[in-house]
Formats: sequence, structure tokens, C-alpha cells
Amino acid sequence: MELTTTVTVDDMNSVVRVALAGALNTDTAPDFEKRLMAVLDGEQQLIVLDMKDLDYISSAGLRVIFKGAKQAKAGGRRMAAANRKPHIDKVFEILKALPDMAVFANEQELDEYLDAMQARTRGQ
Amino acid sequence: MRRGGSITTRLITVLTLCAGIIIGLGMLLDYRLSRDELLGRLQRESDDTVRAAIIDMENWLDSIESATLLLARVLQQREYSQEGLQQMLRDVVEVNGAIFGATIALAQPPDAQGRSLGFAPYYYRHNGKLAYADLAVAENNYQQQKWYTDTVAAGKPLWVEPYFDETGGRVLMTTFAVPVYRTDATGTRFLYAVLTADVALTELHHYLQRLRLGGNGFGVLLSRNGIVLSSRNPANVMRHFSDAIIEDTNKATLQEMFAAALSGEVITRQHQCAHVPGRCVMRLGLLEPTGWPVGVIYSEDEMTAPLRAFELKIALTSLLTLLLLAISVAIVTRRLTRPLTALAQASDRIAQGDLDAPLPQAQGDDEVARLIQSFGAMKKDLKSYITDLEAATARRSRLQGELGAAREIQMAMLPHGGMANEQDETYGLWARVAPARSVGGDLYSYYRRDRFLFIAVGDVSDKGIPAAMFMARAISLIQQLAVTAADPAAAMNRLNDVLTSGNDNCMFVTLFMGLLNLDSLELRFSSAGHTAPSLARGHGVTSLAQESGPALGLAPDQVFPVNSVQLRAGDRLAMFTDGIDEAFNLQDEMFGIDRFNQALLASRALPITEAGDSLFDILGAFAGERPQSDDICLLLLDICPGAEADLHASERFALGPRLTKRVESWLLEELAQRQLPHKLLGDLKLLTEEIVSNVDKYACLPAGASIEISLQATAERIEIEVRDAGIAFDPLTGARRAELGATIEEADVGGLGLHLITALSDRQSYRREDGCNILRITKLLQRAPG
Repeated sequence: MELTTTVTVDDMNSVVRVALAGALNTDTAPDFEKRLMAVLDGEQQLIVLDMKDLDYISSAGLRVIFKGAKQAKAGGRRMAAANRKPHIDKVFEILKALPDMAVFANEQELDEYLDAMQARTRGQ
Repeated sequence: MRRGGSITTRLITVLTLCAGIIIGLGMLLDYRLSRDELLGRLQRESDDTVRAAIIDMENWLDSIESATLLLARVLQQREYSQEGLQQMLRDVVEVNGAIFGATIALAQPPDAQGRSLGFAPYYYRHNGKLAYADLAVAENNYQQQKWYTDTVAAGKPLWVEPYFDETGGRVLMTTFAVPVYRTDATGTRFLYAVLTADVALTELHHYLQRLRLGGNGFGVLLSRNGIVLSSRNPANVMRHFSDAIIEDTNKATLQEMFAAALSGEVITRQHQCAHVPGRCVMRLGLLEPTGWPVGVIYSEDEMTAPLRAFELKIALTSLLTLLLLAISVAIVTRRLTRPLTALAQASDRIAQGDLDAPLPQAQGDDEVARLIQSFGAMKKDLKSYITDLEAATARRSRLQGELGAAREIQMAMLPHGGMANEQDETYGLWARVAPARSVGGDLYSYYRRDRFLFIAVGDVSDKGIPAAMFMARAISLIQQLAVTAADPAAAMNRLNDVLTSGNDNCMFVTLFMGLLNLDSLELRFSSAGHTAPSLARGHGVTSLAQESGPALGLAPDQVFPVNSVQLRAGDRLAMFTDGIDEAFNLQDEMFGIDRFNQALLASRALPITEAGDSLFDILGAFAGERPQSDDICLLLLDICPGAEADLHASERFALGPRLTKRVESWLLEELAQRQLPHKLLGDLKLLTEEIVSNVDKYACLPAGASIEISLQATAERIEIEVRDAGIAFDPLTGARRAELGATIEEADVGGLGLHLITALSDRQSYRREDGCNILRITKLLQRAPG
């Protein structure tokens, strides 16, 4: 299974949404890594990995996410995972991956989070 | 006395009986002799009494007769005046006390006028004086008197029948009458007078009183006509004897006796007598002068009373003697047997274990004393023997205790104490060791290491403690080897070298050692001179073909060939020692491999535990009464029906681009038929990818190299094995693992794959074989349902 990555940039909210569809495994991880690094080159404060259509993830994929999260954190930015399917979640759980990465169970949680961020920005 | 059958009782009884018989016989003999003598004496005494009484009476009567006859002679020759006659008569009566009265009755025929009354003076005793009566009176004239007429008629002296004298003495009397004849001038003989002398019956009775025999005996005097002259009862006097007697039988007897007596016979008869107790006897004879029957009636019992007294005396004496004898015998016997009785009691106590029971004192030097001495010696010996025995028993029980402990220790060396029963999803294992003695040399061991099952069954040469010691050494080494052994031949070789060193006793062990791959079910085994296992498969049992090495412990550096057999689900493998096939029965027949294989086949359908018990039972039934001569060890191994994979797939993948994709496609294609849950498939995909990527990353394989992936699936599990020819590396222990749960700054980006492998699979194993790394993981289907 291949991996399809769709990147949607919302500069108004300074959020970049990376939607993953298919399998993030050893084969697809290198390409995904390039895409993610490209995204991280942007200015957005929050990178949301939307895993709504991600069916499969292996440690190779997780490693890329790990790496991304690490870089984002180093740049004072945040990376979040949203809409993880149960078996994806299980892998995360096993590896106790990204303990301080924001995790959104669904779109609603993500929207609420974005609203809160916006309010804060405006308040500044 | 304890029992009736004791010697004391028997002695007393027998001795008393014997002495009693002897005394009884003596007494009887004495009695017989004395009795005859006594009877004779009694007879004589009674005869003497009777004779004396009769002689007295006869003398008395004789004197009367003599006096009368003398007077008659005088009267015959001389003529006296009437006064003279009277005077002479008076003198005769006066002088002769025996005569009650007397008369001289002259024979004077009546004169023509019939007036003459004759002459008959009569003197008689009356109140101690002489009285006179004249018999020549008108009324009752003497010439009409019977005594007169009878005498005249008889013409000779006679005793007249008794009568009551009316005219004279007026008493009952009898009379001796003598006719006196004279001869006249012409020579004619004529009656001159009748001379009489009277005897009062009371006087006769007085004489007869002396005829008494015994307290109730009495005399009887009869006249010639049978008139009772004297008897016990005065009322019977002057009566005919037949009137005086009441009983008819007696009457007849008396008649007969009377007749016999008159003829001069002395006759004795028994009677029924009302007044005489016991046997009544009557003797009847004749009184000579008068011709009167005289008799005596007496009780024979009274006469023989002295005899009975004598009998009683004899009996009492005998009884007393016997009693005294019995007492003496009892005392003597008791005294003799008292030590014996005491000895018997003492021996009873000794028999009950009281060896301190005192024995009776031995006195003297008789048999009993010697017996007591012997008994004392025996008691002493017994005591020391028992002390020795107790010590020996204590030693023995200590040894037994030690042996028991040794057995427990030895059994504890064997997995599950010599009676193993283990069930796994792949296999069932049952084993038992039964030593011939307390401890033995048979052993078994098994050890599960990952997906391998190590099995060993061995038999140390010899039995008992030496074998057990050697066995302990062997099993320790085997159990050490079991943890690491990857190759039975190599393990066997090492074991042999260790056992050989310092084995001067040349003890050896035959051993079967096998390694079962629980995934492939391949059994690789080596044999050190051990009997080949029997394999029950389907409906047959065969002994496995094997190439064997030498027994262990004899020479170093031996080569042990490796044998291999592919087991299948449902197989039952039996490993055993020669205690089974070389078991003998009482007929010296050997159990043998064939019999064992048959028994294995027979118990094929039974669960493994029951099959094992059944094999031991069959062996026990075969040996029967014969004791087990060798140690026995049996190990059964069942391959479970689900153990065999129904999917075997294997594929080589060249390293390079899209490896994960290729492997995943192959995996999904192979598993497509199994309808596995989607989630499980995801897990398997992930597992495979992680392993393969690991190899790809770390095995340092050259470009173009390939890895081999095998897939096996059963109903219960799925196994994935990845084999690569890279550098030796065990990812399970050697791989770097990322620390989990770290913050992003500290988190390690690599080393995550292994966490997933261990978390998602149920078993993981690594081995290095033939220059390859082999990583195998197992996913159980039941535990992780989709």
C-alpha cells in the first residue's frame, strides 16, 4: 500500500495540516520524511498530522514522526496528531510515542484547539 | 493350675487312679478272703447256738425220759403198796426238777360194777411246791385220757401230743408215757401201769428261748402232729402250724419242711416272714428223744450284719486310704511340679517380651533344676541377642532412613520428582522412574527452551547406591547442558568427556538425548549406546532407526552421530531404559522390545497419563511374582494434534527497494485463504516489516543478498521465521532499544522496532544455525483474537 500525503496550509491560523492516507511503512517513510521536512521548513506554528485515512504505520513511519516532532519542538513549534485509528493508536501506545505531542481524537477537538490558539494570538 | 491338661493334674489323676486300683484290688482280695472266713464263722456260730440249744433240750428231755424209764423198770420188777407208790412218785417229782408232774396210773380194769376208778396219784409242781391230785376220779377218769389210751395202744414209751391237763396241773403240757408190763406166773405179760412224766410247755418254751439267732430270730417246736408247742407268739401254741401261718406260700413250704423233718432230714428254706426283716430263713430238724420237729427262724441279714459292718468298714477304710493317697499324691506332685509351673509362667512372660521375668529357684540337681538352669542361660542369651538385634535394627532403620532421604534427593534431581506430567499446546510429556532398590541409576530429564524441547533418558550401569551417585553426577551435567545445548551430538560429546574424567570405577551411562523443534517437529537425537525409542504413529509402532555412539564415561573424545526424525501431530514417542525390555518373569522369559511395542500400541488410544500407568501395569503383570531386578524409566512424548502446521510457506527476498511492499504482498497472499481478522493481519504485517527492516538495517548484508522468510500456520498459531546470512546478531538481546516514554527532546528516534516485535508477538526466539541468524516469532491465534 502506498502513502498519499496532502498538505494544506492555513496561514491565517499558522497551521499546516498534513493528511496521511494509506500506509506509512519502511517503503513509504523516506518519501514522507522528505515531505514532512519540507513542511517543517515553513513558518507555521502548528503542524497537525491528520491520520484519518492512515491505515498502517510501522516503526519506520513513527521514526519520521518522531524526528519531525523533535525538530518542531527545537524550533519552538508544535506538532500534533489527529484522528488516529485504533490500531494506529495501539502502535503509538506500545511505543509510548510522543508523550507531549498534542493528540486530537477528532476534528472537533482540533477545531477547539485552533480556536483557543486564535483567541490567544489575538489577545497578544 | 492353669489348665486341666497340666502335668500336675495329669500326674495326680493318673497316680491316684493307679494307686486307687491297686488298693481297691487289695481290699477286694482281702474282703473276699475275710468274707468267706467270716461267713464260715457266722455259720458255725449259729450252728453252735442251735446245736447247744437242742442238745440242752435233748439232755433235759433225756433226763425226764431216763427218770421215767428207771421208775418204770423199778415198777416192773417190784411190788409196792399204794402208799409206797405214792411216796416214790412224790420223791421222783420232788427230786427231778425237770419234771412238772408225774403219775403212776395203774392199769386196773373196771370192776364188775364198773365202780372201780383205778389208782392214779398225781404229783405236780404248783407255785414252787408239790401238789397232789388224784386222777382216779369219775369225771375225766385217767383211763379215758388220751395219753393213757395212746400209750396202751402203742405198747411202748411215747411222747404224748400236747394237751391241756384238766384234771392235774391245769397247764398246757406234754407227757412222756411209759407202759409198764409185768409177767405173771404163767408167763403172761400184762400191763401193770402207765407211768407218765409231764413237761409243761412253758418249760419247753423256756428252753426254746435259747434258740434265738439275731434280734428277731426265734425257735419253733412242733409236735409230731404239727401242733405248735412253742413259738414266738404264745397265741399260736396248741394250734396246728398251718393255722398259725397266714401266708399260703409259707404254708406249702412248711408242710414240705415238716414232712422232711419228720423223716429225719434237716432242712433249710427261705421264707416270707412278717416279723423278721430282710431275708428270712427257717431251719427245721428233729428233736431226737421226742421226734418233734424243732426249728429256728431268723433273718439272714441280721445274721450277716457283722459281714455288712465288715464291708462298710472295708469300704470306708478303702475310701479313706484313697483320699489320703490322693492328698499325698497331690502334695508330692505339686511340690515336684511347682518349679515347672513357675517356669511355665516365667516363660509365658518371657514370650511376651518381659525378659526380666524372674525364674524359679533351682534346688538340687534334678532334671527340673537343670531345666531351670538351661532356661536361665537361654534367657540370658536371648536378652543379649535381642539387644544385638535392636542395635542392628536401629542401624538398619537409620540406614533405611538415610536411603529414604537419598531416594527423595535423587528423585528431586529428576524433573517433577521422578513423576513428570506436563502438557503444552504442542506436546504432552509423561515420565516415571521406578528404581529396583531404594535408589537407582535410571534418569530422565527434559527442558523447554524457547521452541525447543530437550529430552534425555539414561541408564547408569549397575544398580543401587553406586549407580545413584553416578546418576546424580550425570543428571547434574545433563541439566546444565540442557540449558544451552543446540546440538545433541556436541552435548553428548561434552558430557562424555566430563563423565570420563576421574571415572576410575568405569561406571558408564547409556543415554538418549534429543532436541525437538516444537515448530518444525523435527527431533534430532543422539544415542550413547541406549535403546532406540519406539514411535507409535497411526496404527503401528516401530523402533526408531538410530546410529548410536558408545556409552558415556568410558573413553574421551567420542563422536556421536546425530539422528533425525520428523515427528507429526498425533505421534507418541516412548523413550525407556532396559529395565523395561529386559524385565523377566518367573519363567525366565524376557519382556522384550516387541512386547513393549505391542503394549504401547494397545495403550495408544489412552491419554498419555493413563497410557503410562497402563504400560507400567502391563510390565508388572508380566513380571508377576518376580521382583523387579533393574531400574525402570519410561518417558512418553505426545505430539498434539494441532501442533503440526498446515501451512508451510517459504520465500527468499532480495534486499532492495520496496522490500516491505514485496514481503507484505507475499504474506497477505499466503494468508489470504485463512480468513484471518483484519487486525491480526495488520499485526503480522507490522511484525514482518519490523523484522525485515531490522535485518536490512543491521545485518550488514552485501548488496544483492537475500533473506529467507518462512511462514507456518496452525489452527492455534502463526509462526514467522526470518533467516539471514548476516553477521551473528541476536536482536532480542543485543539490539539497541529506544527508551520509551521519553520527552521529545530526549527521545531516541531509532530502536523502536524491537518494542513492537516483542509487544505484538507472543513468542520470539533467536538462534544461530549454519552461519545464519534465525529469528522466529509466534503469534497465538487464541490469545489474540481479531
